[in-house]
Amino acid sequence: MSVPIRLTSNVAFRSAKVAHLSRSERQHWATMILLACALVAIASHGLTHAQEPLPGPAEIEFFEKSVRPLLVTHCYECHSGKERNGGLQLDYRDGLLVGGDSGPAIQLGQPEKSLLMQAVHYKNPDLKMPPKAVLSPSDVAILDRWISIGAPDTRVQPSSTQSPGPTGMTVEAGRKFWSMQPVATVALPIVSNTEWVSTPIDRFVLAKLEANQIRPAPNADRRELIRRITFDLTGLPPTTDDVDTFLSDESPNAFDQVIDRLLASPQYGVRWGRHWLDVARYADSNGLDENIAFGNAWRYRDYVVQSFNADKPIDTFITEQLAGDLLANSDRESKTGTGFLVLGAKVLAEPDREKLIMDTVDEQLDTIGKAFLGLTLGCVRCHDHKFDPILQSDYYALAAILKSTRTFGPTNTGAIKHWNEISFASPTERESLKAVNAEIAQHQAALSKAKSAAFTKLRTRVKSMATEYLVAAMSVTPEMPLHEVAAIAEPLGLQPRVLFHCRRFLAYNPDYPLFAKWHELAASSDKAGLESHYRSLFQRAEAALAEAKQKDPKANSLTDPILESARVAINDLTGFLAVPPKPEFAFDVETLQEINTLATKARLVESFAADETSVMGVVDQEVLAGIPIHIRGSHRNLGETIPRNFPKVMGAAGESPILPRKQSGRLELARWITSPSHPLTSRVFVNRLWRWHFGTGLVASTENFGVLGDHPSHPELLDYLARTFIESGWSTKELHRMILRSNTYQMSTMSLDRETATNLDPENRWLWKFPKQRMDAEEIRDSILAVSNLLDMAIGGKSIPLRNRQFVFDHTSIDNTRYDSHRRAAFLPVVRNNVYTLFEQFDFPDPTMPTGSRNTTTVAPQALLMMNSELVMNAAKQIATTLASSSSVNVDRIESLYRMVLGRKPMAMELTRAVAFLEDKGETNSIGSEQQRWILMCHSLLVCNEAIFIN
Amino acid sequence: MSSIPMDSTSNRRWLLKNSGLGFGYLAFRSLLNSSLADELGPAGGTPSHNPLAPKLPHFAARAKRVVFLFMKGGPSHVDTFDPKPLLDRDDGKPPPFDLPKVVFAAQGNLLKSPWKFRNYGQSGLPVSDLFPNVAKHIDDLCILRSLHGSNPAHGGALLKLHTGSDQFVRPSMGAWVTYGLGTENENLPAFVTICPTLAHGGMNNWGSAFLPAYCHGTPIGNASLPASLANVKHIRNASIPISDQRKQLDFLNAINREHLEANEMDSALQGRLQSFELAFRMQSSMPEVQNIADETQSTMQLYGIDDPMTENFGRQCLMARRFLERGVRFVQVTHSDSEVQWDQHSDLYHGHTKNAAEVDKPIAGFLSDLKARGMLKDTLVLWGGEFGRTPTSQGNGRDHNPHGFSMWMAGGGVKGGFAYGSTDDYGYYAAEDKMHINDLHATLLHLMGIDHELLTYRYAGRDFRLTDVAGQVAKGILT
Repeated sequence: MSVPIRLTSNVAFRSAKVAHLSRSERQHWATMILLACALVAIASHGLTHAQEPLPGPAEIEFFEKSVRPLLVTHCYECHSGKERNGGLQLDYRDGLLVGGDSGPAIQLGQPEKSLLMQAVHYKNPDLKMPPKAVLSPSDVAILDRWISIGAPDTRVQPSSTQSPGPTGMTVEAGRKFWSMQPVATVALPIVSNTEWVSTPIDRFVLAKLEANQIRPAPNADRRELIRRITFDLTGLPPTTDDVDTFLSDESPNAFDQVIDRLLASPQYGVRWGRHWLDVARYADSNGLDENIAFGNAWRYRDYVVQSFNADKPIDTFITEQLAGDLLANSDRESKTGTGFLVLGAKVLAEPDREKLIMDTVDEQLDTIGKAFLGLTLGCVRCHDHKFDPILQSDYYALAAILKSTRTFGPTNTGAIKHWNEISFASPTERESLKAVNAEIAQHQAALSKAKSAAFTKLRTRVKSMATEYLVAAMSVTPEMPLHEVAAIAEPLGLQPRVLFHCRRFLAYNPDYPLFAKWHELAASSDKAGLESHYRSLFQRAEAALAEAKQKDPKANSLTDPILESARVAINDLTGFLAVPPKPEFAFDVETLQEINTLATKARLVESFAADETSVMGVVDQEVLAGIPIHIRGSHRNLGETIPRNFPKVMGAAGESPILPRKQSGRLELARWITSPSHPLTSRVFVNRLWRWHFGTGLVASTENFGVLGDHPSHPELLDYLARTFIESGWSTKELHRMILRSNTYQMSTMSLDRETATNLDPENRWLWKFPKQRMDAEEIRDSILAVSNLLDMAIGGKSIPLRNRQFVFDHTSIDNTRYDSHRRAAFLPVVRNNVYTLFEQFDFPDPTMPTGSRNTTTVAPQALLMMNSELVMNAAKQIATTLASSSSVNVDRIESLYRMVLGRKPMAMELTRAVAFLEDKGETNSIGSEQQRWILMCHSLLVCNEAIFIN
Repeated sequence: MSSIPMDSTSNRRWLLKNSGLGFGYLAFRSLLNSSLADELGPAGGTPSHNPLAPKLPHFAARAKRVVFLFMKGGPSHVDTFDPKPLLDRDDGKPPPFDLPKVVFAAQGNLLKSPWKFRNYGQSGLPVSDLFPNVAKHIDDLCILRSLHGSNPAHGGALLKLHTGSDQFVRPSMGAWVTYGLGTENENLPAFVTICPTLAHGGMNNWGSAFLPAYCHGTPIGNASLPASLANVKHIRNASIPISDQRKQLDFLNAINREHLEANEMDSALQGRLQSFELAFRMQSSMPEVQNIADETQSTMQLYGIDDPMTENFGRQCLMARRFLERGVRFVQVTHSDSEVQWDQHSDLYHGHTKNAAEVDKPIAGFLSDLKARGMLKDTLVLWGGEFGRTPTSQGNGRDHNPHGFSMWMAGGGVKGGFAYGSTDDYGYYAAEDKMHINDLHATLLHLMGIDHELLTYRYAGRDFRLTDVAGQVAKGILT
């Protein structure tokens, strides 16, 4: 297709829509059409200035005297030298003719068709230059004239500022980059210490260590091992029975049995599903601008947990999340998977729907890129990738697929758009929901009715005492603080804030005719005069209105101007008798309490009301063959249309997928991503698994396999794992087994060659010991509850205590979400913008961004939480109570405590120290009671380093 | 002092990311074993062990610290600091200009301001009757009349104002300033936010996003609580007396030290050991800052703490001064309530009257106090909301207007008694010397001695800045 034809069809497509657009939108499309025409002109004629005659002396003088200074003053700051905002440079002639991202800045001889003129005319809301302020009309006229005479200009491009060309990698070079090359078939390395090799993994690790003359660490102590693997696979501590069984099992396959037992445990899916939820940026609320509940997100969460427990092949798992609705055997489970695409944080109140849709597509692409491919596709929205071999056209080719996908439903609540859901509700359920909705509405109506009745009552009372307020206002000054006003108002039965306001109103409106008399009489302290004046005035106004109503029941004004102004003043909601708009300020305690009770009731009824059985998910919508490049990422500045496609660098040259005309192409995208020949998908996934076992990935940057990402520490091992993984049928549990059976996994955290190894490899990337790891937030919390026997192991179900789309936070900032449930942490609500404090403190990932590798920070507020939170205090008390009933001998109790919390017996020295603490001898300020000492000791064990770090 | 981090070695970056103790980091430094300290290496030629240690700015800073008085909801500029005579004249007429392409709701005709403007000070700049007390400081204020943003909804506009992005979670401006400049008090957070709103972006408005955890703002209470009850979470244990807790900590330290010795003196274990001591100290240092009982009666009156109308915001402002005095780098004070804040879609007159009455005296008192203590000259005070309001009506209120609105600055290197930029004749669009939110950020960083284009952080393959790819310093406001 040649360029002009493509542009013409684009214009035709747009024109069909013009009729439905508002005036300003029509202007916008007109601009686009103009721009398209301009591009056609360039495409067909090229730059014509080569044949132009040179400018004459008068023209040069005009340029030098009038045009150049103007450009220097108003444009150079952003469009000269190295500054090329919008890709545009205005400090040499070709800079204007070639133009920037939006096309040529000028059309010679045609100011009316020049973007530059459009910009300085300030008529197009999206293109106004200079941005700070509009040019003077005379300056605009100079530019107009300059362009009409052919833009004479003596400036040439200084060689030092010549465009640097594309900074990223070319597609051809990109195909040679390590992560884009096909996954290799690698031979197992030869090693000398073959005894150490337990699974092929060990050969790769050992080869590197031997090459650097470092010995692997010895095997971990069996007690450490059972603790390590139990936390690793289930996120929970081993029970004392688990420990005893393993320690007493002397069979050679004792550890294999532990592996199998743990992989078969339903708690495995809770832990490993949660890992995936980090990548899927899972949350139970939208966050971002309008934080409303994702009331059905939990179904996706449970789908992930079940998928891991069932060892669902990862290619299927990925396909369901991208296109579960398009599979031939699509069902409720696979459709639930598409929640992955809907879970992102969205600017739900964005009034510009087109922007909202493109922002959402962008979020989806960024997530797909990071989650499955280890690519930062989000960088390519505005320009070709600065580093990686991904072009802007690749981005829009993928965006066309997602724009053909429906992520937003047609409905909304006020300004808030609704994300798409797929309903599984039966007609009966829908019918019963009508009653539920009616009940909610009824409670909300009761609340607003009570509020407005209370306001009416207050207003009526205030109006009936208009004279009293004016009299009392004499004793008040405008500067008087509220509590002093209250001291005057309350004995008179007046509302303090109304009086407070009334006095200020009088002061701020000294010229209000009705109150001229007030100022006069107040000045002479004539209380009686003031009272009789206004009482009579208001009474007459009231009587006059009653009389008028007798003649005409609809009468609502008076003919007498003075009486009418009195009537207006009394009824003016913002006048001298205005009542405060805030209920807390307006009402007495009883009324306020009544309203608050109704408000709480209405909220709770809604929070616990049944929701429609539905899942967050996508479906196809009108299929777009392609979409235009959005220049600089703006949906209002469109370029060439790009047909749906997959990134060029990851396909063979010239290869193009065949996408169905009647489907978005998501299924084909999923098939392409999960193709065994895709260079990234399997590498990225096995690397994630490695990261979650060892604390650092073979590629440390789990979401970035691009140029700025890290290189693999063991490239051959990565490819070996990727290939074996695919051959095993993408089985996660098989991959776990290979890793867990390795000696690499079973090493101690204490090395043999510490000094040498630390010097050569300070970050332990070669794995000369097992890396000690601090527990994740969920492990910390769950183990505290587990060892105190408080943990509820139930799996699945709704956890956010809100109805779908109910506000988590509205204007009130009141946090109604509770985290005191004893369910596993994976089933606590994940509230964006206000993540549970314990999660937030202990490096739970930002649930708006895919995260494969959590941070481990140590900040003082963590210690505050451990020292002072109810969670830890309650657990400590619980353990102390259990110990008290277990034995009356302190030493026995201490032993039980160590076994419960740390999975081992105390050493002699530890016993002595604990006993001394309990006896609390030889000090002043002894700790009050023995019970308190027990609680503090249990508390200390719960939060000590050994409890929080895993060897 | 080291210089602002611009680029760093992977080890240093690793340490910043993983071992940031947050506030109280300095004490942690002494416990670092030498090999780890060596690993850190020199940054900018100076060994730097503490990411929060004060850092030299890129150039001479005009302000050492910032306080942002945030008016949640969007105060109306045409009713406060940007008088529009033509709006008075054409009250009730249809607007003689095009409305923006995207508006929230149908807009009515032009609505004149119900408040009078008076001229104040030597500069004679006008301020409406909503702010009679702040107006007395006009010769110290630099009114920015040409702000504009890109998002007309609260959430988007709050995020844009606080983080520079309304589409993604990005570090907040306080986090960037902390990242760039560190802090001057090792026992307090570098960045605190007093009674922030949890709606419309919530913690992202003071979050560190991908910046190191020590840059995260520390919230003191939230907007649903009175300032007198605002506290850092978990700051005290109600059921353990402090002397018992000291003993418990000694016991815990003994356990942890033993474990440390058995574990190759691992630095993460050391850091955690120390964090308990710091937390213990914080239990007294934070309440000490927040406890205003030692302030004089006249100070209390100055901030309006003796009046129920102004008590809450006055207390917030006074707390802010106490944090600033003790070297906290960035303090945000949010004026918000449980209703609609400054968001007067209806009943403009009452809503704004109430809101202004709650903050006018405290802000004026705060400015007087800063000045009297010699702090105003190197403290940047920023006042404003997430957007302004339309000069057109919406019933008896006004709609959101991100296209042109006012904020003001005072102190730290800005011209006093000065009005910068303007909106059009009716106050709808920013017109002269336009200042986008990105420009505001660039200017704020500039006043702190930071070049906004150089303060970057590499994340997910990109160098990020507060101003993304935009932002120009409004040089016209600098002294």
